Amino acid sequence: MEKKPTEGMKLAILVALAILCIGLEIGIHLFARTAVGYTHIFYLLLVLAGIWYHRLAVWVAVALAAATIPTSLYVGDFGWATLLRGSMFIVVAYVVGTLSAERDRGREQLLQQKQEIEEKHAALIGYISEVALRLKNPVAILRDNLAGIIASLGKDNPDLESARMELTVQVSHADQILVNLQELNKAVVECHEDIPQAYREFLNR
Amino acid sequence: MPAPIQVEAIGEHHLYLVLSSAEKLKEHNIAILKSLISGGYQVVVITTNQPAAVLEKLYASRGIDLSRIFFIDAITRYAIGKASGITQNCRFINSPSNLTDLGIAITEVLNRRSAGKACLLFDSISTMLIYIPSINISKFIHFITSKLRLVDATGVFLAVEKGLDPLLLTQLTTYVDIVIDMDAPVSQPGSPGKEVPGPL
Repeated sequence: MEKKPTEGMKLAILVALAILCIGLEIGIHLFARTAVGYTHIFYLLLVLAGIWYHRLAVWVAVALAAATIPTSLYVGDFGWATLLRGSMFIVVAYVVGTLSAERDRGREQLLQQKQEIEEKHAALIGYISEVALRLKNPVAILRDNLAGIIASLGKDNPDLESARMELTVQVSHADQILVNLQELNKAVVECHEDIPQAYREFLNR
Repeated sequence: MPAPIQVEAIGEHHLYLVLSSAEKLKEHNIAILKSLISGGYQVVVITTNQPAAVLEKLYASRGIDLSRIFFIDAITRYAIGKASGITQNCRFINSPSNLTDLGIAITEVLNRRSAGKACLLFDSISTMLIYIPSINISKFIHFITSKLRLVDATGVFLAVEKGLDPLLLTQLTTYVDIVIDMDAPVSQPGSPGKEVPGPL
C-alpha cells in the first residue's frame, strides 16, 4: 500500500530544499560567481511544492526569483537570462500547482463517488437482508401453519370454525408477505437505474 | 414431549429466548405453557400467529387450566376483523404492527396482576417480523424485557431458529438471561434442549 508523507514530513522536505537552494544561491552564485546549472535544483523544490500545496508554490517561485535577481544585480550578471529564469520558476510552479490541484480534485471526486456507491450498496444489502428476513422465515411459518390446519381438518371431528379462523390469519400473513416482497422489488428498482422500463413496471406492479 | 423449561430454574433466570423449528413451535408453546402453569404461574400469552380463540380451544384440548391464562391477541382483529368466540380473559390489539397498543396492553396486564408469579409468553418474534422491521422488534423486545425485570416477572420469547438474522439474534440474546435452542442435540436424558448462556 502506498505510504503518503505526513504534513510534517512534507514541510521538513520543503524547508530542507529551500535551505539548500539559498545555500546554492549564496555559495555558487554570490561567491563562486557562477549562474549556470545550480538553479536546476530549484525546480525540485518548486515541483514538490506544486504537487503538495498546489498554487501556493507560486509564492515559493516568487521568493526564489526575488533571491536570484538581486544576487545577479550584485554580481553583475543580470540580463535577459536572469529574467527568463525567474519567470520560468513562476510558470513551472503555476503549471505544476494547477495540474496537481486538478488531479487531487478529480481523485477526491472519485473517492466521494466510490464512497457514495459503497454506502448505497451497503444500504441495499441491508435492505435486502431485512426483507429476506421478513420473507423467508414467515413463509416457513405459513407453510407449517397450513400443514397444521390440513392435519386438523383430517381428524374425525374437525373444528371447522377454528380452521376457518386460522386460514384467515394465514391469508393475512400472506398478504403482508406480498407487501414486503413488493417493497423489496421497489427498492431494487430504485437502486438500479439500468433496469429496463418494462421490467421496472413489472417489478413495481 | 418434556417440559422445555425447568420451572425450578425460573427463579434464577427470568427471561428466556426459546428457539425452535417452525413445525415444532406450536408444540413447544404448549409444553412451555404446561410447565409454567404447573409451576404456579399466571401466564399472559401474547399471540401474533394464531387467534386467541383457537389457542384457547387448543389449550383446553390439552388439559391446560385456562383460568391461569390471559391472552393478548394482536392478530384476530387485524386478520378476521372481529373478535369472537373468546372468553373475557383476552385483550385484542388492532394490528401486530401497533406496538404502542401492544405495549400499553402488556403494561396494564402486568400492573393489574395479583400477587402470584406472572409470566409473559410471547408467540412469536418470528411472526412479528412479517409485520414490523427487525429494528422495531428489537426495540420493542427491549422495552418488554425491561418492563418484566422491573415488575420481577418471567418472560419467554418464542422464535423460529435460523429465521433470525445474526444481528437481531445477538440483540435479543443480550436482552434475555438464557437462550434455549430446542432443536439442539440433547446432551442429557430428559434435558429439553441446549441452553446457550445469555449475557448474565
